Amino acid sequence: MPAATSPRPALDWLKHLLEETVTLIRSSEQQPRVTLLRRFPVPRNFALPGNARIQHGRTWRAPPGAKRVKRFEIYRYDPDSGENPRIDTFEVDVGSCGPMVLDVLIKIKSEIDSTLTFRRSCREGICGSCAMNIDGSNWLACTRTIAGTAEPSTIYPLNHLPIIKDLVPDLTHLYAQYALIEPWLKTRGPVPERERLQSPAEADRLNGKDGKGPAACILCFCCTAGCPSHWWNGQRFLGPAALLQAWRWLADTRDEAAGERLDALEDPFRLYRCHTILNCTRTCPKGLNPGQAIGAIKQKIAQRRS
Amino acid sequence: MQNLGSAREGARQWWMQRMTAVALIPLTLWLAASLLRHVADDYATLIAWLRTPLAAVLMVLLLMALCYHMALGLKVIIEDYVHLDRLQIAALTLIDLLSVALAVVGIFASLRVALSA
Ligand code: SF4
Ligand code: SF4
Ligand code: FES
Repeated sequence: MPAATSPRPALDWLKHLLEETVTLIRSSEQQPRVTLLRRFPVPRNFALPGNARIQHGRTWRAPPGAKRVKRFEIYRYDPDSGENPRIDTFEVDVGSCGPMVLDVLIKIKSEIDSTLTFRRSCREGICGSCAMNIDGSNWLACTRTIAGTAEPSTIYPLNHLPIIKDLVPDLTHLYAQYALIEPWLKTRGPVPERERLQSPAEADRLNGKDGKGPAACILCFCCTAGCPSHWWNGQRFLGPAALLQAWRWLADTRDEAAGERLDALEDPFRLYRCHTILNCTRTCPKGLNPGQAIGAIKQKIAQRRS
Repeated sequence: MQNLGSAREGARQWWMQRMTAVALIPLTLWLAASLLRHVADDYATLIAWLRTPLAAVLMVLLLMALCYHMALGLKVIIEDYVHLDRLQIAALTLIDLLSVALAVVGIFASLRVALSA
């Protein structure tokens, strides 16, 4: 933010607006300084089929004597009940809770409503299980602080996926897209006696000098679930997570199948449906840049054409 | 997921969309500047301007780049948002035909002004 003592606040604001709209997003660590709209201006439940319309659920009041009460509005859906999805409101005493959103979910499950369903495993941002939509953006529940959420905070499953229950989306299709890029080392020559060596610089292409290269992806699918191109054409467009992984193997100096990998990707939908909207980079909870990886693939294809 | 496999193309459209975009930046600036310069002139002066070789050539280039870029952009929008197969194919065909027609009409008009005695 501009210093409070700036003589020309209006000019500074304009400069920030320009930076915000003109500069490319490189990582989710760039905090937006100007937000025009909190959500796209259509009514909730707009054009949703009857059985997907979200209804008001029940409210769970905070226990008497709670010290710091915070409200969480959480998406609930149970296909066995035959009922529509609903939003339940939980008043949680965050004074007696760990610091992360995942801690809240675990507290709700063990103390308030044991039917709340969500995925989690590592609770340290490395397994990718707890990806969900928190306050309108996709992130890992275990690396989002409660202090950093809105009041009330809204928690939905990852967008635009079939829902199995509550916060658990069906990732089958996204895994199939990942399998399609054949995420394993392919070589042609004779098998060497010992490991295939890489120089530190070659390894940096995968890990990134700052640890944010394509190999750091945890396949949480925050990016693909947040990609508008994948919403509209997810059956044919591979989406940022799978494409970042495709780049991971194209960038690997030990891999010898770049040509056939590019053949499989060069398609108006699989690859070129990416319009560089960069929602993927904006939302990646590991701070990676799938948008840049997709650009790198397009560059490789351009290279081999001329 | 494999569906019909990879089309092995798309790079050309992607490249042309960028090329035409780059070409359109100076061309539109040129057009806007020229029109502003002639805004107070009468019809005959404007025609005289369009008959200079530079203006005529740039005008034809502008029309070609503009129509190509427009067709590519509109088709992407249709592919993204129109998911009824028949409607989509109809719209895509229409865009192709109309943008070729538009380009030919525009170029013909420019040349006619520029080359008629
Ligand atoms: S690129 Fe980031 S958001 Fe996308 S799957 Fe990998 S870690 Fe998750
Ligand atoms: S940059 Fe491409 S992959 Fe990323 S959100 Fe945009 S369209 Fe999707
Ligand atoms: S629980 Fe593993 S990433 Fe959150």
